[in-house]
Amino acid sequence: MDPTALRVRASLIQFVVRSFNVGEDEINLDESLIQQGIIDSFGLVELTVFIEKDLGVQVREEDMTLEAFGSVNKMARFVAARLESST
Amino acid sequence: MTTPGRCVRCALTSGFPGLTFDDEGVCSFCRDEILVVSEQSAIDAAREQIRSLFKTRAGPYDAVLCNSGGKDSCYTLKLAVEKYGLRVLSFTLDQGFMSPTAVENIHVVVDALGVDHITVRPSAKFFRKVMRTTALLPIYQEQVMRRISAGCNGCISMVNTTALRIALEKGVNVILAGFTLGQIPANGIVYRNHFRFLQAARKDSLDKLRDAIGPEVDDYYGIDAALLDRVKEYPFNVNLLCLETVTEDQIRAEVGKLGWRSPTDVDGCSSNCRVNTLNNFIHQKRYGFNPYELELSHLVRKQLMTREEAISKIEDQPRGELRSMARQLGFSEQDCQELGIPE
Repeated sequence: MDPTALRVRASLIQFVVRSFNVGEDEINLDESLIQQGIIDSFGLVELTVFIEKDLGVQVREEDMTLEAFGSVNKMARFVAARLESST
Repeated sequence: MTTPGRCVRCALTSGFPGLTFDDEGVCSFCRDEILVVSEQSAIDAAREQIRSLFKTRAGPYDAVLCNSGGKDSCYTLKLAVEKYGLRVLSFTLDQGFMSPTAVENIHVVVDALGVDHITVRPSAKFFRKVMRTTALLPIYQEQVMRRISAGCNGCISMVNTTALRIALEKGVNVILAGFTLGQIPANGIVYRNHFRFLQAARKDSLDKLRDAIGPEVDDYYGIDAALLDRVKEYPFNVNLLCLETVTEDQIRAEVGKLGWRSPTDVDGCSSNCRVNTLNNFIHQKRYGFNPYELELSHLVRKQLMTREEAISKIEDQPRGELRSMARQLGFSEQDCQELGIPE
């Protein structure tokens, strides 16, 4: 994972830990947060808004796939790719 | 009022998942350790987004509003019409257990504000199956259950899906609801309701519900693929009440000017629904905390309600009607015993 994705991942983890009241060591970074029971559909909304407002990446309709949002690592790579393509 | 295991500043109790207390009995929410996104910045961003969203006017309606007849949704309707100047289609999902006063309140308020209104009444047989199934089986994720009881979630999900269906059919870009902060997180004040994406996250609970009830679950919690295929952009869900700094008494006074009256046949946490007490009772038994603790504690922290008022509302749960309500919902004697519902 490149440095941008690592930075994004750290932000995402911090958000998930504090918003959904879980320990960092309880999160499997390669598994869906939904499947892990950490977030529900509204949690997905919260994450999307966090990515848009706090990480500065617009999430388009076509981005809303489990491929992009299927795990913390996938989200980190998706956001990092967007950030890098906009610079 | 000091209750063992209840935060000395708000109404949260030790049964709430992940809550910790310091030596003085102050919970981690009140110590601000469980900080989500900065609430004020989220509110400011939502306000800005709403300003731009409401500029676009097309079609006969600017918004579909989920109207339960409760004080919050009626006040939201008033805000939408009078403060924001929106052309609103008010919509109620009447599940057959609304307080008759709430039904009257809907008619009185929509008439006073001059808005169109439609009521959708789902099959009573189906609704009762949902209430019974969500009471008896762990249908929803525990994360969801921090904010709402399973029964209420089953009902609200039906409301949300129906509202989205109406909005899509009528080409309306905004869906309004009367949720407050505490009921929803600060960064959920405005969001695009991308149904297919969000529905994937609901798959497990819908599968469980379908297994227990049958394929008709998709008629109430799903939207026709043909309709979804036509969507260019999904509507936004907007919770206007989250932008207001207003007490419950002020809300009651404002909707009272429109003719709204407080129902007397509901508990302290609801102003429209007669099933609420039963849902709360079942939730408390299963999870060890009241589903309104989070929401009311948030209002306490915002100084929009005193801790005593919050606790009083939580404790205003008339238990004499529980068994009767359970029977009206089709619960068997065995169900009632299993759930510990008193005579």
